[in-house]
Amino acid sequence: MSRRTHGLRGWVLQRLTALYLALFLVYLLAHLILSPPGSVRAWRAWVGDPLVNSAWAVFFAALLMHAWVGVRDVVMDYVGPAGLRLGVLFALGLYLFALGYWALVVLLAAAP
Amino acid sequence: MRFSIYRFDPDVDPAPRMQPYELGGIEPGMMLLDALLRLKAHDETLSFRRSCGEGVCGSDAMNINGRNGLACITPLEGLREPVVLRPLPAMPVIRDLVVDLSRFYRRYRAVKPFLINYDPEPEVERRQSPEERERLDGLYECILCACCTTACPSFWWNPDRFLGPAALLQAYRFIADSRDQATEERLDALEGPYRLFRCRTIMSCVEVCPKGLNPTRAIGRIRECMVKRSI
Repeated sequence: MSRRTHGLRGWVLQRLTALYLALFLVYLLAHLILSPPGSVRAWRAWVGDPLVNSAWAVFFAALLMHAWVGVRDVVMDYVGPAGLRLGVLFALGLYLFALGYWALVVLLAAAP
Repeated sequence: MRFSIYRFDPDVDPAPRMQPYELGGIEPGMMLLDALLRLKAHDETLSFRRSCGEGVCGSDAMNINGRNGLACITPLEGLREPVVLRPLPAMPVIRDLVVDLSRFYRRYRAVKPFLINYDPEPEVERRQSPEERERLDGLYECILCACCTTACPSFWWNPDRFLGPAALLQAYRFIADSRDQATEERLDALEGPYRLFRCRTIMSCVEVCPKGLNPTRAIGRIRECMVKRSI
């Protein structure tokens, strides 16, 4: 990973993903208040809508990238030894990747 | 008035200790530095730095009741008792309230705090419009007292890699200068995960700056410059 990726790009990525997360959460909250799904079937139909499904996919991708940059920063501050830091970052990457895969499986199952 | 002052002589003391002091005859308008000078008259082993006594040189920066500040412009009136005085945090102690600021100055030097201009030297001074000069307000006034940098948690965690608020304020002072021609090099030098981007916008620097400057805003402007040139 280049130095640039660690610096400016990570910083910009965190802000852009934060913006998307905030907007999506407002939309989600508004949807759940204004037209709450009455049943699991209605919920699945809503998530299965191609636009909503894509929006959820972008949401999970943004969430995982946001978490990666944020937690990586914390690890860089508090975990000193290079070997331990690499191990923690690897475990974090693996965990986030697994979460992403799980979200993908759920979204694909709901997709039309 | 009661004081509790950090005492440590690395050559003699096995560990630092807090020494209580009592001072009478406090007059209205007295500053903390006046009290320290009186205490030193009674106990000449008490060590601290001071010079101008007017908040201009930045020599007497110390941690006053948990907050960094300059003793010479801190009124005794209103200080909670006992007044706890410690050296600036995150710096090696030379003796009592005197710290080794070499690390701080190294960070300062790293940002090349001088005008870089490749044009031939003009007959007259390099002129600026009033607007261009105005951009330096809030940047050039830094007195390098180290109050901000030593109050910054990001600097505590990464003192050898994060430049700290004072150096970054100076970096922006020259990036913002219309006469400087090394903006690209300066921005390149600030890239990477540590030098600039360890700032987490905690704003302790703004809170403690005795000159009322805003290093966090300067750091934000440097980031803006970086984003602008990358798009």
